[in-house]
Amino acid sequence: MSQRKRSKGLGCSQLPDGEDDFIPTQVERRSQEQVNQKVSELVQFLLVKDQKKIPIKRADILKNIIREYRDVYSEIIKRADRTLQEVFGLQLVEIDVKRHMYILINNLPCAEGEHLCGGKEKEKMGLLLVILSFIFMKGNSVKDSALWEFLHQLRVYPGKQHSVFGDVRKLVTEEFVRQKYLETTAIPLTDPPEFKFQWGPRAENETSKKDVLNFVAKMQGKDPKFWASQYSEANKATT
Amino acid sequence: MSHTGKPGGSPPASRRRRSRPPQGQERAAGEAAEEEEEAAAEEEAAADERFRQLSIGDGDDREHNRMIRSQYRELISTVQQNREAMLNSKSNRLTEALEEANRLFDGVCRAREAALDAHFLVIASNIGKEKASELHSEMSAFDSTAFAEDLLTFMGINRTEVEETDDSEDVPDGFLPTDAWQKIGEASSKYFRRAPTFHYMMGSFKSEPPVPKQRIERQKKASRGKAERAMPAQLKKMEESHQEATEKEVERILRILQTHFEDDPDTPISFFDFVIDPNSFARTVENVFHVSFLTRDGLAKIKLDEDELPVIEPIKPSEAGEEDSRDGARNQVVISLNQKEWKEIIEVFQIREAMITPPYQTTEEEMETE
Repeated sequence: MSQRKRSKGLGCSQLPDGEDDFIPTQVERRSQEQVNQKVSELVQFLLVKDQKKIPIKRADILKNIIREYRDVYSEIIKRADRTLQEVFGLQLVEIDVKRHMYILINNLPCAEGEHLCGGKEKEKMGLLLVILSFIFMKGNSVKDSALWEFLHQLRVYPGKQHSVFGDVRKLVTEEFVRQKYLETTAIPLTDPPEFKFQWGPRAENETSKKDVLNFVAKMQGKDPKFWASQYSEANKATT
Repeated sequence: MSHTGKPGGSPPASRRRRSRPPQGQERAAGEAAEEEEEAAAEEEAAADERFRQLSIGDGDDREHNRMIRSQYRELISTVQQNREAMLNSKSNRLTEALEEANRLFDGVCRAREAALDAHFLVIASNIGKEKASELHSEMSAFDSTAFAEDLLTFMGINRTEVEETDDSEDVPDGFLPTDAWQKIGEASSKYFRRAPTFHYMMGSFKSEPPVPKQRIERQKKASRGKAERAMPAQLKKMEESHQEATEKEVERILRILQTHFEDDPDTPISFFDFVIDPNSFARTVENVFHVSFLTRDGLAKIKLDEDELPVIEPIKPSEAGEEDSRDGARNQVVISLNQKEWKEIIEVFQIREAMITPPYQTTEEEMETE
């Protein structure tokens, strides 16, 4: 898998104190052991918090783990990210620089088969990929009515309990949105209010337009170049 | 509307600019200078006219304005309701609506109606933006219906069977197997760089186990308590009986000894005669045991006579004090007796009866003397 351009790098968000310049000396003030301890705690915290796939807020990290070590926050975060990468093959990504939210993504190429997924995780990812494909192929933004019309053809109805997904409307408009896989915004001046769906920051980090286009091409048995504008857009994103 | 920098712009000039938005942008720069002069002259005229309009009686104006407002509202609601139809690229309805609004604007002379016009403009431009974005995405046409069909095929739909459904509107025929979405899920996992969720293998530490333990402890304590309560009572009884039995027995033997000695105060009783019970070896041993208590407590003494045979005699209470003070008055002796010896003694000393009667016999017999 080729290197991807990450939308946000780590450590580029500044603490309100703006003490980036003073970090080297303050690291010395605290013993290496103490800082290492905090790094380990943070790694554990992130792994557990990621279970629900809801982005982790910096405020939670500060309150529960960092506490009085605020001054070396960015150092701890950097080291935790390194540990996650070297030990678990995961990466810590800041998806919202303004509101300071993090997610964990997988750094390793996905192995075929043998996935320990509990519950309905696999099927939900399948539905998500279908939705993301539809959104991308339709120009990166679709109206909710258009999306439901499309899912209707796949026997998935917003008003009806689905045998696999249950309350699909809740899954799509709440769960996927909270996990930042999808983003939903209201279309102004519509009555009754309509929404549009776009890719969320987690989707942008965990997959790519190129991958999604390949999926569509595979399903339809066509070459990805068949859709010229989508193809060019997908390739533009990876450079 | 005011790209030439004019603040208000008389109605005729602005209308001209509105109806040709695409070309207007390019030519405006060149024409700006000319138009400005033109419009300046027009503006003066229009301003005079407007002033004249305003100074017309209020009655006419109110009716006129109300009509304009209702027409605007009608236009806005029409546009909103037929939004879908307007978005159709083949439809010219948006342009028609714009022209209608332009016409209405001629009669607008107050801010209130102008506000409605502005409202309409915002709605119309939103629709315009949507139409434009739809144009873009249709460049490489994506047939979502075909995509859906292909997905269903991948999921393993069985098109030969016709499924009976309640809502059979636009649902393609065919029976979808239960693992349909699992198939898609399997295929999709390699497209996501999703971090596997972290779970403790032995589960998280829960507070439930301690609760049953407490209950068990309580139960144990409860049962133990009862048992303990029962035990002391029993134990006391037992101890009392033991102690009582021994003490009573020792006393009884002492009485027997004293009784025998009263008859013949100067002759000590042969030890063997006294303790041995020819009928039971066990009782003999018991007698020796009880007699040892007497000697220990200083109530009887055993000594050797001329024949070097042990004899026993009770100690008078008056002598007790003197005896205790004497040094070396007390010796420890270990007497061993086995059944063979016991039988021999019985034969040698011709002991036919036990002097110490067995405990369970009546008191009358105890008082018997030979």
